[in-house]
Amino acid sequence: MPEISDIENEFIRDEIEEFIERPNEIERTVSTFAKARPEMQTIAAALIDGDNHTVDQLTRKALDSGIEALEVMDYGLISGMGIVGIKFRENFIFVPEVLACARAMKAGMTHIEPILSASGIEPVGTVVMGTVKGDLHDIGKNLCIMMLRGAGFVVHDLGVDTSFDEFMEAVEENEARLMGMSALLTTTMPYMGTTIEAFIDEDIRDDVKIMVGGAPVTQEFADDMGADGYGKDALACVELAKSLLEEAARDTGL
Amino acid sequence: MQKIDPEEYKKRLDKITDLFSGFVVHARKQSMSRCPYRNRLDECIAKFDCRNQIPTISQPALPKCSGLIDYCNAWKKDTEKADGPDLGSCNP
Repeated sequence: MPEISDIENEFIRDEIEEFIERPNEIERTVSTFAKARPEMQTIAAALIDGDNHTVDQLTRKALDSGIEALEVMDYGLISGMGIVGIKFRENFIFVPEVLACARAMKAGMTHIEPILSASGIEPVGTVVMGTVKGDLHDIGKNLCIMMLRGAGFVVHDLGVDTSFDEFMEAVEENEARLMGMSALLTTTMPYMGTTIEAFIDEDIRDDVKIMVGGAPVTQEFADDMGADGYGKDALACVELAKSLLEEAARDTGL
Repeated sequence: MQKIDPEEYKKRLDKITDLFSGFVVHARKQSMSRCPYRNRLDECIAKFDCRNQIPTISQPALPKCSGLIDYCNAWKKDTEKADGPDLGSCNP
């Protein structure tokens, strides 16, 4: 059976010793990292640290050196995320750290995308996401983006305080068939309707499916505004996105 | 360029989705008692103002979170009024 001393990377060894308590999880994690090449351990360490620049550089270097993309995913990115998950569950880290780790994972996955494309694997879909104008709350949106990217979507994040012009421009530029708007304030929620109106005025409403979400948003409000779908939370977001894309494909007869 | 087996890739996506779904469930649970914008160093990463923020002297360091007020009531709205806009719920 592999021992913790079989793991070359000191940071990973320390993380296991300091943060993982359950024997089965220790065994599984040690066994995984003991099998991982040192390069993969270093990628995982940078990911756990939320260091997207290092993950970016090391992933590119690993792929350039001929390491298989699936090996990078298994032993660098997903294994690193496994430790992040345990630390989060045990309240050693919180949502901001998890989102930083998810960004680091995305930095690594960016280098895997061309290989996916060359293998004939297309993204599940392209989504434009943003928090509406006047609203600066972004945690819920960022959790949705994490879920969507994890499920294989390409997501263009417009950040917070997004105007309808910015939504329209991003949808057109990226040929996105799907767009998501988020709001946390009852005062900014109506801007979702303003944005949908702007899409109608520009005669591009039928080109894109629009989903909305945020704590004060309800299905009724979404229907009243003319949105195509409402997601209660980040878990619902992925299923909703998939079903709206299927709907869009049916609409266009694709 | 190397190639990836689509079936194998799909397995990895399923694994990531499982992992992230667990994160979202825990984030929702955690947000009942702790502001989701407060990091492990008790700093505030919010882009908006909050009554719990304690500005730091060394800019551009993040403000500290005092955690003194329940965060739902501490978040400042853009148009602060005596009866300000309803947040609905603070749950992210």
